[in-house]
Amino acid sequence: MAATATDETNRGGAGRDLTRSAQERLQARAPEMELIREAQGGSRAAFDTLVRQYEHQVLRLALHLTGSEHDAEDIYQEAFLKAYRYIGNFRFECSFYTWIYRIVTNLCLDQLRRKKTRREDRAVMVDRSGDEIDLFASVSDDRSFSNPAKELDRKQLGEKIQTALEKLTPRERMVFELKHYQGLRLRTIGEMLSTTEETAKNTLFRATKKLRTQLAGLR
Amino acid sequence: MNCELAHERIVTAAYQELPDEQAHELERHMSGCPDCQSEREQMRALKVLADAHPVLEPAANLVARSRLRLEEALDALPPMRWYERLSQRMINNFASLQAAPIAACLLLVAGAGAGCLGGYQYAQNRAAHRAAVLTARNVAQPTLNAQQSPAEPAEIANISSIVRQPNSQMVEVHYNQVVPQQIEGSLDDPAIRQLLMLASENSASAGVRDDSVGLLAAECRAGHSCQAAGIRDALMVALRYDKNAGVREKALQGLEPYVAEDVRVRDAVLEALMNDSDPRIRTAAINILEPVEGDTSVRQVLHTVANSDQSPQIRTVSREVLRREPEIQ
Repeated sequence: MAATATDETNRGGAGRDLTRSAQERLQARAPEMELIREAQGGSRAAFDTLVRQYEHQVLRLALHLTGSEHDAEDIYQEAFLKAYRYIGNFRFECSFYTWIYRIVTNLCLDQLRRKKTRREDRAVMVDRSGDEIDLFASVSDDRSFSNPAKELDRKQLGEKIQTALEKLTPRERMVFELKHYQGLRLRTIGEMLSTTEETAKNTLFRATKKLRTQLAGLR
Repeated sequence: MNCELAHERIVTAAYQELPDEQAHELERHMSGCPDCQSEREQMRALKVLADAHPVLEPAANLVARSRLRLEEALDALPPMRWYERLSQRMINNFASLQAAPIAACLLLVAGAGAGCLGGYQYAQNRAAHRAAVLTARNVAQPTLNAQQSPAEPAEIANISSIVRQPNSQMVEVHYNQVVPQQIEGSLDDPAIRQLLMLASENSASAGVRDDSVGLLAAECRAGHSCQAAGIRDALMVALRYDKNAGVREKALQGLEPYVAEDVRVRDAVLEALMNDSDPRIRTAAINILEPVEGDTSVRQVLHTVANSDQSPQIRTVSREVLRREPEIQ
């Protein structure tokens, strides 16, 4: 599983090559801009189309951060209601994706702060009815036969990871979530959190350092 | 590069965020630093461990439930009133301008420029209208201010003098202006008669001279007061010098009552008999000379005309007059 040092640094250059040209991006965004303008003009159908384009990403983020379907649903509801109310203020200075994610991350941060205050730490993910969600039910196993012992180990590991994540500050947790789990670029994360790329980078460094300390015994 | 900086860059590199030149520098550092190599190994392990808490795709039920709940909430929102829509639109437009300061400045400059141009045009039009009104007043008023510009050339009667000031570009022009006037009165009115006599001598229009001479001659033949020397003189001038034969004929008719009593009138008629280019005038002059008595000049002229006039008819008439009027000496 260990990758060579050269591969890692080369992957950094290859990742940057994936960005499209500005013109291609503009052309790709043109239909979305039309949708946004229609939604700003009061078209409910246009707004519903925008919701469908981003609802999976919003739920995915909210679910992974909160660990609760109920909380994820609340964040979904609040995020899109806010978007509907304030879509008139959208100035096309950034992508709609960045704009909606900014709303979602702020709501998630509020949720994390509330949880930290109430000390509602949850080591497992639960669904709406309160039943535990088996995180590894959908994770494929390469082996031809199942290994219950290994699955239990992985489940406990997952819980420990979650516990370590909950020990981060809400901002550190958010940056790590957006970088590691959502795969966003540090510059985008900075825009979403209304900060700079450098600040996002420093926050990521602190988060990884804390996590390594928390998970040191698990290696 | 120190190890503290290297540790930070290891994290950035782990997530493909390190620029190429920094990545190369990091590689060179780590090739000689076991501590940083260990740090990189730990970072990789963390990434693997973190993946033990996977990101799940939301269940279809969760998506459907969330969507339904959102639609219900959106349906429950009251529709925006017209003033709310209007204020929102104004806020959006203002925000658009805020985001486009150059466009806003250009808009301001364009608006100010249009306003200045409009104001200038309006002021120009007002000034032109005032000048037109002033010119119309100047035509009605005889006096002319020193600062006013002269009237149109058609209104100027004549230029009386031109004086150039020494060592200067300034020129002084003295001119007389014609002021149209009108008067109404009886033919016995001396003012009317005065104007008629003036018209018979100075008018550029033959029609005006014809009218004025005709009126004066009619007055004299009707026996109205024609004793004033001016009227006979005007008729004699018209008989002698007017270029229009009709005017001369009318003048001759007007002088007929005075041929016998006034030698000046008789001399004017004799001159017309001898010198007028129109045979009708000469024939008319012979006819009004008939009753003249004791005037040798009349007989001499008749003899001359009877012998040398171009018109045979006039020669014949002259001989007839001499034969029938032996009293004319």
